[in-house]
Amino acid sequence: MIPGKMVPLVVKQVVRHRARTLLTVAGIAIAMFLFTAVQAMHAGTAAATRRTADDTTLVVYRQDRFCPATSVLPQDYESRIERIEGVVSAMPIQVVVSNCRTSLDVVTFRGVPKEDFLAERPSIEVIDGSIEDWRRRTDAVLVGEALASRRGLRAGQTFDAAGITAYVAGVFRSAQAQDQNTAYGALEFVQLSSRKGLGRVTQFNVRVRDASMLDRVADEIDEMFRTAQEPTSTYTEKAFVGRIASDVVELVGFARWLGIGCLAAVLTLVANAIVLSVQGRVAEHAVLQTLGFTGGLVARLIVAEGVLVALLGGAVGAAAAVVAARLGQFALSVEGQAIPITAGAPLLLSGLAICGVIGVLAGLVPAWQASRREIASCFRAV
Amino acid sequence: MTLIECRGLTREYRRGENVIRPLDGLDLDVPRGDFLALMGPSGSGKTTLLNLIAGIDRPTRGTLVIDGTDLAQLGRSRLAAWRSEHVGYVFQLYNLVPVLTAYENVELPLLLHRMSAKQRHDRVAEALELVGIADRHGHYPRQLSGGQEQRVAIARAIVTDPTILVADEPTGDLDKASASAVMQLLQRLNRELGKTIVMVTHDPGTTRYAKRTLHLDKGRLVRETGPAADAEIAAVPEEVAA
Repeated sequence: MIPGKMVPLVVKQVVRHRARTLLTVAGIAIAMFLFTAVQAMHAGTAAATRRTADDTTLVVYRQDRFCPATSVLPQDYESRIERIEGVVSAMPIQVVVSNCRTSLDVVTFRGVPKEDFLAERPSIEVIDGSIEDWRRRTDAVLVGEALASRRGLRAGQTFDAAGITAYVAGVFRSAQAQDQNTAYGALEFVQLSSRKGLGRVTQFNVRVRDASMLDRVADEIDEMFRTAQEPTSTYTEKAFVGRIASDVVELVGFARWLGIGCLAAVLTLVANAIVLSVQGRVAEHAVLQTLGFTGGLVARLIVAEGVLVALLGGAVGAAAAVVAARLGQFALSVEGQAIPITAGAPLLLSGLAICGVIGVLAGLVPAWQASRREIASCFRAV
Repeated sequence: MTLIECRGLTREYRRGENVIRPLDGLDLDVPRGDFLALMGPSGSGKTTLLNLIAGIDRPTRGTLVIDGTDLAQLGRSRLAAWRSEHVGYVFQLYNLVPVLTAYENVELPLLLHRMSAKQRHDRVAEALELVGIADRHGHYPRQLSGGQEQRVAIARAIVTDPTILVADEPTGDLDKASASAVMQLLQRLNRELGKTIVMVTHDPGTTRYAKRTLHLDKGRLVRETGPAADAEIAAVPEEVAA
């Protein structure tokens, strides 16, 4: 874009106009923080609700129920579901949440048959405590990394939430979004502690042999219990999350407009800074052209300044959002379904790329105007 | 040997319905190594002629050939390249870039030339030394006096070793002592380095440093006076020269 030896000139122009640069960078950083946060929510929502070819899990829920407190199914459905062709396993789960409504800090207990759970999740990695401890103690829970980080939980501690007092046997890391904000305990422990009683569960997680069988198996399960006292509704896991958290998904979708508004704010800020800068430096640009700089080179220097300022602001804002998301380990939880706010290097890089493009767009018009001015008339104007 | 050749040089501006003609069919020859002062009342066409010679403005009619190049035939980019190689411009208000140090200001025109950082450094150091401001190389323009700023501007104008040095009222914003020092510097550049200098001035006192003075009025050449007496120049006090 500009010759390498011109880069220090651009950097000096940006760095040495300290007040102007700081104010512009601060404004851009705030807008990019908001934009990145919205993008992080969107990324989390997409990851939690978008079906992929690898998905082989169905969730069986009580028909017409949306909250774990009201979804009650007989535990003996398990054996009947497992007899359906293509079903590998059906895991009964009792879900208890500290808050049924949408919140950034919900504790979700999931009571599961311990050995079945470990067989289903061979990839989980215990990063604090031990699996053996969890197997041994009836009141033990394995806590997802994000929940542990948010609540400051470590192995060996006990904690209270949703009326359950549990012992933290370990903290685990999992690639699955739902696991990160969940405490897994023995099924009977959660059933009894939550006073739901034995023999009744919130849902079944059904694993099928092949992703192509999901729809057929789901239909067969619902058909099997259509006339039962507790009829079921069966969804793929991602569709289930999307259905439960539809309000959140809608809100995050709307929030994207706010994100676009943030980008418009960044564009306006950078454009304003460049226009003011160019207007204040008419003679300076004329001097550069008198020295032999072409109009095109002056234009590219102006655009480069815009890009640099936008990148600085974007880097600060996006990095702050990523750090905040990492440290806060936030998750949008609704009805026991957690949608983690995920922010990482890809989001940071995409934020920077967007800022780079905005810097170019913001600088184009003032740069073009500056490059087309008659040099002599610039001095007459001054 | 003629370096600058103007024939029927005319510059017109349109301002609303009116056509303003600051230069009206001027003929002029400037030999290589000349030190030419342009004088005349406001609106007489001095600065317009200077800007045409510097290649930052274009004639409406007539020809302007400098060192064998007809400037009217050059496009914007080629004219910029020509300026970079052949012209050093000294402004009345110095026009240094405020966020760059004296050193960086002088280095600016060299960024357009193919040379290493070491070569640029040597050239800048030499130019600053020549104008007697090497000890202020790290100062920003706001930290320099008017005379010092003008010296930096002269260093910036000569650092590329241009064919012509043009100066638009180079002492117009300076006190008497600084003005004399700047004029002596320009005279040295002309006499010792053979630089061709075209200077616009309102101050008759500065014309004594030039080899000849052209008087313009209403865009035409009305009179030419000869070189100033060396005795007058020698009368400048030593402390001013320093």
